[in-house]
Amino acid sequence: MRSIAQLWRTTTVRLTATFILIFVVFSVLLLALIAWQSSFQIQNQQAGDINREVRMLQRIDRTQGLRGIAFAVQRLSSQPGPGIYYLGDPAGLYLLGNVPEVPPDIILEPGVYSFDYDRMRPFDADEEGEARSSRGFAVVRSVELPSGLRLVVGRDVVERRGFTAIIIQAFLAGVIGILLFSLITGGVTARRVLRRIDTINATASKIMSGNLSERVPVTKRNDEFDGLATSLNAMLERNEQLMQGLKEVTDNVAHDLKTPLTRLRNQAEAALRPGVNESVREKALETTIAESDKLIRTFNALLMIARAEAGAPSGALAEIDVSTIVNDVAELYGPVAEDVGIALETSVTEGVHLRGNRELIGQALVNLVDNAIKYFEPREGVPGKIAVSVQREAGRVLITVADNGPGIPEGDRRRVLERFVRLEKSRTESGSGLGLSLVDAVARLHRGELRLEDNQPGVRAVIDLPAV
Amino acid sequence: MKILLIEDDREAASYLIQALDEAGHVTHHATDGETGYAMASGMDYDVLIIDRMLPRRDGLSIVESLRAEDDRTPVLILSALGEVDDRVTGLRAGGDDYLTKPYAFTELLARVEVLARRSSPSEAATVYEVGGLTLDRLSRKVERGGEVIQLQPREFRLLEYLMKNAGKVVTRTMLLENVWDYHFDPQTNVIDVHMSRLRAKIDKGFETSLLQTVRGAGYMIRE
Repeated sequence: MRSIAQLWRTTTVRLTATFILIFVVFSVLLLALIAWQSSFQIQNQQAGDINREVRMLQRIDRTQGLRGIAFAVQRLSSQPGPGIYYLGDPAGLYLLGNVPEVPPDIILEPGVYSFDYDRMRPFDADEEGEARSSRGFAVVRSVELPSGLRLVVGRDVVERRGFTAIIIQAFLAGVIGILLFSLITGGVTARRVLRRIDTINATASKIMSGNLSERVPVTKRNDEFDGLATSLNAMLERNEQLMQGLKEVTDNVAHDLKTPLTRLRNQAEAALRPGVNESVREKALETTIAESDKLIRTFNALLMIARAEAGAPSGALAEIDVSTIVNDVAELYGPVAEDVGIALETSVTEGVHLRGNRELIGQALVNLVDNAIKYFEPREGVPGKIAVSVQREAGRVLITVADNGPGIPEGDRRRVLERFVRLEKSRTESGSGLGLSLVDAVARLHRGELRLEDNQPGVRAVIDLPAV
Repeated sequence: MKILLIEDDREAASYLIQALDEAGHVTHHATDGETGYAMASGMDYDVLIIDRMLPRRDGLSIVESLRAEDDRTPVLILSALGEVDDRVTGLRAGGDDYLTKPYAFTELLARVEVLARRSSPSEAATVYEVGGLTLDRLSRKVERGGEVIQLQPREFRLLEYLMKNAGKVVTRTMLLENVWDYHFDPQTNVIDVHMSRLRAKIDKGFETSLLQTVRGAGYMIRE
């Protein structure tokens, strides 16, 4: 379980908290506005009511005289509700109305006032029939009527205050509700997000502790976490494949180097055996050197493949003339081919340039030509032929070495690109099984590929590279 | 020939010193970069053999410092780093030749002897002559016993390189590097095939064979 401090450090919890804060602040502001608006409205409405009654009573006073006004005030006073009425003589003394004890200053000086008073209302009486008395608070307007009588009209605002209290209560309840609601939803959301991140973390830990086949679970929700999980899983898949490949290569290397090392050891032992004559010993030592040279070449080839597969060595890629390289290699190998009865022909488009490594392209080409010569089988009436060519074709540079030798069975064409893979019939030939692997690695280093095609008969090896 | 070997691997060094001694060369030895640099700038050597990775001072920086002091003593750099770009940085630092470990002693000896010759003035000669065989570098004409020999351009360069180093062993790798300018592994006996063709042109019909195969090492042209 995480501690509060740990939780607070998580982005999810902080984000959620921030959103809750923003949400609550805005909700409170909104509720406050509504509350303020409503009490303001009520106040306005009451002030309007008071003014309207005052105007009505002034009119009655003017048109219907003392009798009319007395009757009207009497009638208003006896209505239930918050209305407050006081009619006094010109000296302000009480004549009529439901609140007899209005302070004299208010009665004599026209204006708007508020004051405390004793409230006594027959309709508020309780079950014992006893008039209940309570403190009231009034907002009133005092005027002098045209007839000289004093009129005070007002409203008891204790009820209004009660209403405000209700609004405030509702407001507080609302705020608490919002707070609770956002805390719960925020908490649930944060928990869910954290839980999914935790599963990814847990998977990563399992993989780090060695279980490479572990994957991040993907739900059916298809949300961004599933997107992330899917990409992570694809990456993990690729990693596992690479690890697997690496393991296979290491196994192969170990196996394929053990054989020559054993031979080396046997030769050295033979040379040391007591009683062997000088010429046998010399022969054994020469073989030892020859074997170790072969091993060194194998290592060099392995290193070169590894370097090529790791990507471009810094600064080793430059603008190179492929046509020249192909001509050079053809010239270098022409006599060798001729000596074993193979005609090496070239068809080179001059001036084909690309960004690459001259030595590696040269080595790749040498490996292909060397293979073509090495695996050639003389047949009656069919002269051996190797055609080396360079062409530019729709943004590609194609370097082709085609022979009319025994060819490679279709099923083996992918396999021969792997390190140390040698087909059964080539086991007797000298070679490390790395030649084509290197060509393939060089092609891929140059963002291209090596294709082995059927030349009917023979092999057509095409190094297909993107032109600059 | 007086050689300075700067190499921290004592076993490899003592083997080299002994072998160079057997080949008739005097070798001084330094086991770290600082001592090596002090010896190289304090004494006159015909060739310096410098390992690239040394304690106290890097091999390339020794070469750079010597070149900055206008010391033109030929330098052979030894290195376990054999990639194309490693070789290029080695030569750019001022090295004259670059040999990747592990190497055959015959290869090292041949390179050291060819390097030492560079400091001799015959470098500038326009006509090479070995036992009646002449090669004119300007007119690109090759003659033996008054007869003109027709050579392909590459054969001419091959012979030119051999004659420039007449009397010295040149290895197959040296030929591939200097005549074809490639450093890759040629896989097969390509150089031998070219050499036998060259031999057919210059030695056929003559009593003495000038172009000789040195078993286990390479080729040499001499009277």
